[in-house]
Formats: sequence, C-alpha cells, structure tokens
Amino acid sequence: MSVGLLSSALRALCLSGSRTVSSQWAGPSAAASALVGCRGFMTSVCQLQNRTLWKQREKYTIRPIGMKKTGGRDHTGRIKTHGIGGGHKQRHRIIDFQRLRSEPGKEQPVMVEKVLEVRYDPCRSADIALVAGGNRKRWIIASQNMEAGDLIQSCRGIGRMAVLAQEGDAHPVGALPVGTLIHNLELFPGRGAQYIRAAGTCGVLLRKVSGTAIIQLPSKHQIQVLETCVATVGRVSNVDHNKRIIGKAGTNRWLGIRPSSGRWQRKGGWAGRKIRPLPAMKSYINLPTASARA
Amino acid sequence: MFNTTMQRIRISASTVTQICKSKDCLGVLIMIPHGRRCLSSSSCLYGKVFPRQKPRVVPEIAGLEPVTYADRMHFVPGLAKPRFPKWERGWKNPNHYESPKPEEMKLFKDKPCYIFNQRTSVVEGVRQALWLSKSAVIKEFPAQILSLAEDPANQIEDQDERVQNAIKSALLWDTTDDQPPRERYCPMLVHRLLHLCGVLQVRHPELAKRMLAEKYNLAATWRRGEDVFQVRGHNGLLLNSMNPLPVLAGPEQIQGTADQELETFFPIAPTIDLQCTNVYQEKSTTGFREGYPCPHAHTLYVMEMGNTPKLLPEQLRAKMIMFCFGNALVRAKALYGDEPRVLEKPIVVQSVATNGRIFQFVVFQLNTTELQSDSGVKNLVWVDEDKPLYEHAQARAHIKRRVVKIPAGLSGYQPETFKKFLALFLHGAT
Repeated sequence: MSVGLLSSALRALCLSGSRTVSSQWAGPSAAASALVGCRGFMTSVCQLQNRTLWKQREKYTIRPIGMKKTGGRDHTGRIKTHGIGGGHKQRHRIIDFQRLRSEPGKEQPVMVEKVLEVRYDPCRSADIALVAGGNRKRWIIASQNMEAGDLIQSCRGIGRMAVLAQEGDAHPVGALPVGTLIHNLELFPGRGAQYIRAAGTCGVLLRKVSGTAIIQLPSKHQIQVLETCVATVGRVSNVDHNKRIIGKAGTNRWLGIRPSSGRWQRKGGWAGRKIRPLPAMKSYINLPTASARA
Repeated sequence: MFNTTMQRIRISASTVTQICKSKDCLGVLIMIPHGRRCLSSSSCLYGKVFPRQKPRVVPEIAGLEPVTYADRMHFVPGLAKPRFPKWERGWKNPNHYESPKPEEMKLFKDKPCYIFNQRTSVVEGVRQALWLSKSAVIKEFPAQILSLAEDPANQIEDQDERVQNAIKSALLWDTTDDQPPRERYCPMLVHRLLHLCGVLQVRHPELAKRMLAEKYNLAATWRRGEDVFQVRGHNGLLLNSMNPLPVLAGPEQIQGTADQELETFFPIAPTIDLQCTNVYQEKSTTGFREGYPCPHAHTLYVMEMGNTPKLLPEQLRAKMIMFCFGNALVRAKALYGDEPRVLEKPIVVQSVATNGRIFQFVVFQLNTTELQSDSGVKNLVWVDEDKPLYEHAQARAHIKRRVVKIPAGLSGYQPETFKKFLALFLHGAT
C-alpha cells in the first residue's frame, strides 16, 4: 500500500509524465518546486499506530478478552510512563464495580448472589470472584474470606437502624454501623467503586453526619461522601500480596516492569519523606448551594 | 507543532490528495509530497494520528426545519448539513447482504425462548436439568438393568480379554504416537465396544432390529412455568430400535413421584447459561423422516469428538438428561399429540457418555408431558456416575526416580463398567 502510494505520488511529481499533470502547474515557479521535489525521496514510511479501543464493548461478558499492552506510551507514541513494557501475556476480565446493577427489567431492593469461584486475576492485585444470581454471571472483587458457595447480598435501602452486614455484602454507607471496615467504595452514587480496591486494603467508616459519611482511606486520608454511595463490607482479598518476594530482576520482567535508568541515587537522612500532618478532609459531595437549598 | 507541520506540507499536499482519496491513508499522505521528513517534528509525532474527536451532537428541535445546502449540491458555510435517507440498492447483492435487526425478522416473538444445545454448560448441573425436565432422580440403577448385567447368559465369551483388546486397539495400537488425541480414541473406543456388544446378536436376534444414527438434528419444545424451553441440535450417536424399551418403574412408583418436590437452587435462576433468543421456531422433530423403520430412541452415546466442547462430569450428566428428555418428549408428542397428559405407557431412553476413560450412565423415563407446573407426576431419572473402565493406558511406563509408578500398557481394568454398558445395550432385546 505504501509503495503504491509512493509510485503514484512520484508520477504526479515528475515533469516527464503526462501533460495533464504538468498543465496543472501555474507557472515556472511551480516547475521549479517540482524539480526540487524530485531530488530525493524516502523508500520507507512511518507505520500507523496499531491502537484500538479494545476495552470499549457493547455487551458485558465473563469471558476474558484480549488485552493490548501500551508499553507506557500514549497516543503520540512517546513514553509517558517509564519502566513499563513486556511481561507475560494477560487477558482482561471485565469486572463489574457496580454492585447494585440489577438484571435488565428485574429491579429489586435486595439482590442475592452465589459465589461460584474465587480466582486469580492478572490485571489487578486482588482476587476476583465469579458470582451468579438470577440469569446472570459477573465478576466482582473478592473480599477476604469469600469462598465458593457463599451467598452475598446487595441492598440499596437505608433504614433507621444500622444493618449488621456480613462480609462481602454491599450496602450504602449510610446503612452501615460506624466503625465498619469497607472496601470497593463509590465516590458518587451509581458511578461504581473507585476507591479501596487493592489487595488487602480496607477503609474505616468514621462518622455519619447529616446525610454524608466520613471514611478513612488506607492512606489515612479522610474523605466525605454521600450516604447513598455503595461500599462492600470487609477487606479486599489476597491479603499477603505485599508479602510476596520478587526475588530477582527477572520476576519484575515477567510482571511487565522494565529497568529504570539508574540515575537516581539514594540520599542521606536530610532527604526523604517528612512527617507532616494529614491534609484536610476531602469532600466529594456535590450538593446545591445553601441559598438554592433553602 | 502538529499544525506547523501541516502548514509546511499543505501547499504540495493538495496535489497528492487528489490522487489518493482514502481517509485511512491520511497519515501516510503527510509523508509523501516531497519525499522527505520534516526534521523539526519528531519521528514519533510525524506518523501518528491524534485520537478521534467525539462527533458534535446536533440537537433536533421538534417543529424546526433546518435550512440545508442539499439543493446547492455543494458545501455552503452557514447552512446546516443535510440528512439524506438511507440509499437503497433496489436489488439484492449477495456480496453485501445486511442482516435485518432481530426485531424485524419474521420469526421474532416477544417472549424469549431458552435453548439447550450441545455446548450448554449449565452451572447447577444435574439439579438444573432435573428442574428443566421436571424429573426426580434415583441414584441407583433399576433392578432390571442390574439383573441384565449380572446374568451369566449375557456374557460374551472371553469378555474381559476382548474388552481389554478393544481398549488397547483404541489407545495403544491406533497410531505410532505415544497417545492418540482424545478426539480420536474416544469415538473409536465407543465404536469398538458397540461392535463387541454386537457379537451377542447370535443369542438375541432383536439386536438386528436397530440402527445407529449420527449428526441428526433434534428439536423439542416445552413450556415450564411462563418460559419456553427447547432442546436443539446435534447431540451424539443415537441407537434407534424398532420396538420401544420396556417400562422400568411401575404405576405405584410413578404415582409416588407426585409427592416429591423439585429442588430449587436459589438465588440462581433455572434459565442461567441457556441460550436466550427471541427469534425461534417452535418445532418438535426427531430429526428422522416419517416412516423411518426404527422410530424409537434406544440409547444416546455422547463422546468427546473434535467439534464438541469439553464438559465437566456434572455438566455432562446434565446434558445427557436433557437430550434423553428431548428425545423422549418428541417421541411422546409424535405418539400422543401436543396436548399435555400423563402417559399411559411411559417412554424410556438411555444414555451413555464417556471421556475415553470414565463412563456415565443415565436412564430416563418420561411419565408425563404436563410440564408447566411443578405439581403432579414427575419424570424419573436413574443416574450412575463416574464409572472408570480402566485406570491407565500408556505406551511408555511412567518412571520417577527409577521407580516405575505406572506400568506400560493397560492397567486397572474394571469389568463392572463394561457389564453396565452391555446391560444397557441388551436392554429391550431379551
């Protein structure tokens, strides 16, 4: 294709070709520019990038889909993140981060699902669980003590009394008692879990204040979310993920981590992370202003 | 920088654009005009395309007719872009056939149909198959078949030796490889065993009134609750006979199943993992033509052939039950009509499945075609699970640390499994 394009382009640029091409030139200056164009040409062209939207699919499926590794490069082709590339071939499993997503046409306040299997996922540090309920199967992030055969619930109601939620159940944070360990936290209602998804992590529900909830993240930061944001009770599975021993540089190559440049050198005691207070609480509440609310 | 690159190339690029109209080569077109690279742009940026911007959503205001440039036949700035109706070819081009939407197809129905085909791997296994076919399961084999298996008159002379030769013929003497592929030795083993069972035709002349059929299309339709279910497609090797199989359970046992309750598997629905479709045809056909001389389904043999999926044993037993039920149901509808009823003479179909080493046996008795509700008489299923025919059949011995773990050749032969196989084959011929 490229060579054909090159040949047809050169035929257009050559003066000794057909007269119809030469008649298009406006005068001697155009002929001079054509002569300049004929002096040298490349026999190779840049290839277009092989980048497709493999993650955007119309329909959910539990089968693993093919995954294209970026190598740390963005759409311009430059390395945006260093140290990424190679690694074992991975296949992506679509995780459903919205626990309250019902089957189409079957809305119910309490959804009960059965855990079929808990297995390893190469695309994240936590384990994933295949759950089946009604006529549907889906993958979710597994909690710590989740086993095949367990029944898990997803409720959407907030009562006056705090529910005694079992591990693995999903409830709005307004329905949980204060002090509950949670994971898979939504920042905005209905957007899906975005926080506390890594292996072995959990957040703590600190306070509930007038329709909102204050939650401590694994990094000890505190955030404020609406009480209708859904969170899962318990701790994320694969608790020993941070205890695994890489062992050698080749293990990092299997994981897709390339060598760094080596220019960074260890500093002394005067450099490094300082002890400082935690930042102020971050609020993810998008409520109307006081005048509009009044 | 990208705009600067475009401006530098713009003058001579217009000449080349007239020759190549394809938008897919737009990135390559930038390269071609003067045949040399613009060195002020990096080579990464030079051949790359920016991500496609989202198309602008033009709101459609009801009652407002936009002024377009359609009449002028060329682009006029300031006027709206016209929206032309879809061009119709007027004749059917087979190279550019576009399938209509499922809602516009002739066979589209509002109520969905759940289809069980040979690739279905139901998550709840036998329990789901029992619910779908409204059956009660009995874990032990019926006494008539067990007596057939233990009768010395039904033994083949030199039976153990000949069965072991059949196994060796399928696994060890077939090719020069250490192990033939499963898709090859699994059907060959079943065919060898069936051929060996045919030796008893001298003693039982009824064995001559049978026929083996492969690649026939079964279609059975029934209603369960408010849903429509079907069993369709290829399902293996079917042994047909001229005479029906005798009834195994008496009327007292059949009436006793009315008190049994079907097992539920909350929170999973019984329709999980079935193929759900709205374009279907309500068919009931055995796959054979009218007037076929052997109309009764006798035994269904399910094997792992190259084009069938590998199923776990629980899902394999569910498949056996469902296809036995499908064969029996179409036979019942052919005999007694489509009206649901309790059959005076139940229909019995058997099934044998294997993965080349482990055998599963199922006997299904269809007592009723009243399948809509959970009450009333149930159908009966006898299941015999996971019977290995042998333990190992290897061309080379498995030696670990100079100790022979598995000897070469055939080891661990179990004759009871073949006796059951032979009993199911001889059922209905004595």
